[in-house]
Amino acid sequence: MAGRRVGKSVVDWAAFVERVPPNQKSQFNSLKGKFDALNVRMSQMPEQAATPNWAAYKKTVPVAGLVDKFEKEFSALKVPYPADTQSDHINKQEKEMDVMAADFVKASNERIAKYTQEFNKLESMIPFEELTIEEFDEMFTEGKKMKEKYPWWPHINLAEL
Amino acid sequence: MLSRLAMRNGSAIASIALRSSAPCVSAAPQKMLLSTSTPQRMPNKMPEEAGKIRFGFVPEEWFQFMYKKTGVTGPYVFGTGLILFLLNKEIYVMGPETVHAAVALGLFIYGIKKLGPGIAEWADKKREETLADAYAGRNANIAAYKDAIEHEKTEQWRLDGRKQLFDARRENVAMRMEIEYRERLQQVAQAVQKKMDYHVELENTKRRLEQQHMVRWIEQNVVKSITPQQEKDIMSTCISNLKNLAPTA
Repeated sequence: MAGRRVGKSVVDWAAFVERVPPNQKSQFNSLKGKFDALNVRMSQMPEQAATPNWAAYKKTVPVAGLVDKFEKEFSALKVPYPADTQSDHINKQEKEMDVMAADFVKASNERIAKYTQEFNKLESMIPFEELTIEEFDEMFTEGKKMKEKYPWWPHINLAEL
Repeated sequence: MLSRLAMRNGSAIASIALRSSAPCVSAAPQKMLLSTSTPQRMPNKMPEEAGKIRFGFVPEEWFQFMYKKTGVTGPYVFGTGLILFLLNKEIYVMGPETVHAAVALGLFIYGIKKLGPGIAEWADKKREETLADAYAGRNANIAAYKDAIEHEKTEQWRLDGRKQLFDARRENVAMRMEIEYRERLQQVAQAVQKKMDYHVELENTKRRLEQQHMVRWIEQNVVKSITPQQEKDIMSTCISNLKNLAPTA
């Protein structure tokens, strides 16, 4: 897979790091450490292994035909690229994550809508000075509920005190 | 009077009043006519401060009303005249109750002047505190909602980081594979090289051993070939050589 340059700035770490939630910082650091270690290890290894010096060996090796045989076989040999067993797993996980993220975004938007509604209600409310008692009860339903549940003043569960 | 609540909750009269600009008296059906007063859309706000008064109980407006006709002293003259008239015609009769009333009034006035401001201040403070509490709660709620919305948005934004996460993981796998591949390449090359080095070394060792053997064999044969007579000759030659060397030394 010499065509693709492996490990060269495919990942946008700057964008990644600012999006990491604070409670997952350590996991992020371990991932980054792994990545860096692998990158360093890879950069230290030559991309093509040095071929043996055939001409020199032809002079020195006494066994007739051995070097030629090796040379032929060496050039004919295709080193197999290791099988990829993990990518499918990761892709599957990504798909699952996409579904989860979409669900979360949907729920989150619903929550935002709810919060915005409450927010607007509070923002545009009639000032407390001008509220009538009925309007107040309608606006803040808790007090009314408590009054219905505990009809006697102070409208709280006295047994709990 | 129609309150805002009644308007909003859609009582029959309120809906009619809302729909038509005409007063509800004419708009409402006869049987629903509950009140003939002119409809007020909003409840009156109670004034914060009381109106101006003189002597502690006479409204300022009365003085203003009489000012146009009688001038400044008019109302006072009128008031004094009224009292004198009531006394003169014995419409109001002075008696022990009057004394009682005067004392009681004095006590009331004293009490109000003495305690009134304190109580008013306390009541104002209480009201301010209640309002402040209510507004604090409202503002806290508003801030909490704002924070919650902000938080949700941040979390949604953070979700985009998963693309980088999976990219990084895939990249890690790819790098592992690349490293493995390069290691294999190196292993092959090293194995071939080792094999050839072995042959070269084997040849070198064989040659060295043969050489050693040859040297030893020649040496032995030479030593064997030297006869005692030759040895004696060489000895004597050596001694004569030494003698020749001695004078020159």
